[in-house]
Amino acid sequence: MNARHRYKADTLFHILLNTGVVIFCIVFATMIVTITMKGSMHLTVELVTQVPSDMYFNGGPGGVLNAIVGSIMLATGASILASTFAVPIVLYLRVYLGKRSFFASAIRFLMDILWGIPTIVYGAVSVIILYGMKASLLAGIVIVGIIEIPVLARALDEVAQLVPAELLEASYSLGATRGQTAFKVLFRELLPGFISAFLLAFGRGIGDAAAVLLVAGFSDSIPGSLLEPAATLPVSIFFQIQTPFPVVQERAYATGFVLMIIILCVSLLSRLFYSRFSRYQVNK
Amino acid sequence: MEKSAHLEAKNLSVSYGANQAISGLSLRIPDNSITVIIGPSGCGKTTLLKSFNRLLDLGDNVQVTGEVLVDGENIYSPTADVPGLRKRMGLLAQRPCPLPMSIYDNVAFGPRLHGLRSKKDIDLLVRRELAEASLWDEVKDRLHEPATRLSVGQQQRLCLARGLAVRPEVILGDEPTSALDPVSSKKIEEKFLALRSIYTIVLVTHILRQAKRLADYIVFMFNGRIVEHGPAKEFFENPKEDLSREYISGVIS
Amino acid sequence: MILSVVMVILVPALMLWILGSSSAGLFADKGFAAIVFGETWKPLSGRFGLFPFIAGSTVVTLLAMALAFPVSLCVAIYLSEYASKRVTAILRPLVDLLAGLPSVLYGMWGLLFVVPFIRDAAAPFFGLASTGLSIISAAMVLGLMVLPVLVQICSEVFRSVPAAMREAAFSLGATKAEVVLRVVCKKSLAGILAANILAFGRAFGETIAVMMVLGFSVRVPDSLFGSGATLPSLLANAYGEMSSHPLYEKALMTAAMILLVVIILFNGLSRFVMTRLRRGME
Repeated sequence: MNARHRYKADTLFHILLNTGVVIFCIVFATMIVTITMKGSMHLTVELVTQVPSDMYFNGGPGGVLNAIVGSIMLATGASILASTFAVPIVLYLRVYLGKRSFFASAIRFLMDILWGIPTIVYGAVSVIILYGMKASLLAGIVIVGIIEIPVLARALDEVAQLVPAELLEASYSLGATRGQTAFKVLFRELLPGFISAFLLAFGRGIGDAAAVLLVAGFSDSIPGSLLEPAATLPVSIFFQIQTPFPVVQERAYATGFVLMIIILCVSLLSRLFYSRFSRYQVNK
Repeated sequence: MEKSAHLEAKNLSVSYGANQAISGLSLRIPDNSITVIIGPSGCGKTTLLKSFNRLLDLGDNVQVTGEVLVDGENIYSPTADVPGLRKRMGLLAQRPCPLPMSIYDNVAFGPRLHGLRSKKDIDLLVRRELAEASLWDEVKDRLHEPATRLSVGQQQRLCLARGLAVRPEVILGDEPTSALDPVSSKKIEEKFLALRSIYTIVLVTHILRQAKRLADYIVFMFNGRIVEHGPAKEFFENPKEDLSREYISGVIS
Repeated sequence: MILSVVMVILVPALMLWILGSSSAGLFADKGFAAIVFGETWKPLSGRFGLFPFIAGSTVVTLLAMALAFPVSLCVAIYLSEYASKRVTAILRPLVDLLAGLPSVLYGMWGLLFVVPFIRDAAAPFFGLASTGLSIISAAMVLGLMVLPVLVQICSEVFRSVPAAMREAAFSLGATKAEVVLRVVCKKSLAGILAANILAFGRAFGETIAVMMVLGFSVRVPDSLFGSGATLPSLLANAYGEMSSHPLYEKALMTAAMILLVVIILFNGLSRFVMTRLRRGME
């Protein structure tokens, strides 16, 4: 009967979907599990507390403290820089421009493009602009900061859309200007959402390799000033894994594990702040 | 009710999580007539309607106990043929929801699912059903345009044509005219009156006047239970329960 | 505040200007076709054919999308149509988390799993020898990278289909598969297409993960199990040698320009599909 045919197809479809989901889960599980296992197996106190010695990449002693500190310094600076641009943009979009404004869609479209531009292109252009200048932490902060702007802005924008118009209207009716409303009222309201977006952007910034490779360079020591080159975790991993020495490769996995832990913590924190934000929102 | 019943509920209880929507309800819907379920919002009338074609299954955390019998078979038995059952129950929803395809394909959707292949047969069927729903003249020149281009009233008639195309036995209507303008509402109501000799029709409405216009039988619900039911004339002229009296006179709504 | 908005406009404009003028200079000197379609890349002798890199990027990305598309669709449909609330509560945040993992980690997975697999199992199966650093490895790693984002966007698109539409289809006696395929997917077509176009654009520019498993061999890809080179890897590998030959630098900028143009094109195309195709359906 025709119906039986269809019911069989229905079941088959369900099985097909489940297969896809299983493949997805298994593959990602292998990724997370192996990095965890291989990484934690070779994780030593030395690795996270010492800088690499001269022979580190040949198998000598040392650790990746340079990269850990470098990454944190770079990502923090970049995120702060990104905030100073992303926050006003989002506030502007919400307070000064209506939802149907063409200008607003244009800005958002530009943001999308900025987000999509490969980080290597950011890096390449920066090398041109900084022609002759050495790779430095500052350059890394600036470039990654620019890269982070669309990430932060998009996350903050989504949160800003959730704020009810009544809040803004209440502020206006108390006599506040749009500028005051934006910075004093809206931003206050957005604070947990901002922290969430900040952490999200931080996570992206700390994970980038392509741009920092070109712009921040690499160094075996913790950067003492903004003008020195800085090591970052992704680049450190990249270099370590390319060496022919198994000892160093194992350390690469351990470094990768450290990076993964950092990212996971940052992501979880970001979610935490996001739910803090939405919990106190008045549901429309 | 004297007439034989296609559709019957026996001791039906439905709950959404901790919220009991219907408790221990038993009811026989008479054939070839229009039964209208009325009651204040939240009384469970839409839940009851949706339990008739197992559309409740689509919700989260829905628990159903009891039986709903269609032609004597319990549709909630674990071996029931759910898609086949649903085919026998046409549903007209509150807000018309055309499928994302042309007018022609909307009407043909059901029959094609159930095996109709020949283009000639489908053409005939589409024409017939659209004519039945008083829509043919308005759309005959644009059958292959997206259905969303129609007005709301036209869309509802399209949904009616679409539902009838699968030759159901029962037509379920969940406030089918509440989203429509008066002219379109009237057309749909006229359609129901015309169809009642062929189909068993069960409608849910919160418009008392509509109930008076259409109903052969009334089922009055309150708080998940049936307060009173019977032939419409009797219900409106001589309600037996105080609650019914209050509802009819508009004290509660 | 206005300054920030100006920044947003300035950055891509500046990029376009810098890269554009370099590319224009190069094209003026060597000719557009010779660069874009030229197969010889010997910068020291003044040959700047970018075609091997363009081809490498295109092949790897297309393959990656071919791998990711079906799986992402399955997971997205499952997440929005079949998964229980409990499963969704776990899976959805998980996908979000996975979308935030840095590319080095994907590259690492590639080196741990994919490369040995290709080298020791897949290539010999076809009677070929491979180091494992290959087009197919890069495609697999890139495909995995793209999966979480695709799943996120596609499941959002599916969720936006109104419940009433599903109910209407079920009421006509359709099975779940029929409702999902003939109604939900049909309605979501524009969105799914737009999502994949967007993902392609992003994947095209991915650098580190691909580099780690592709190797670097400047030639037009001729074998799935052979190595190759992509536009981003060209830029990454060349960073130390930027200042050796004046036209060399211009050639690298042209490569970057191509990447920029691709992302702008694909973003625009994605938007276009979203708005126009959707309007065409309504």
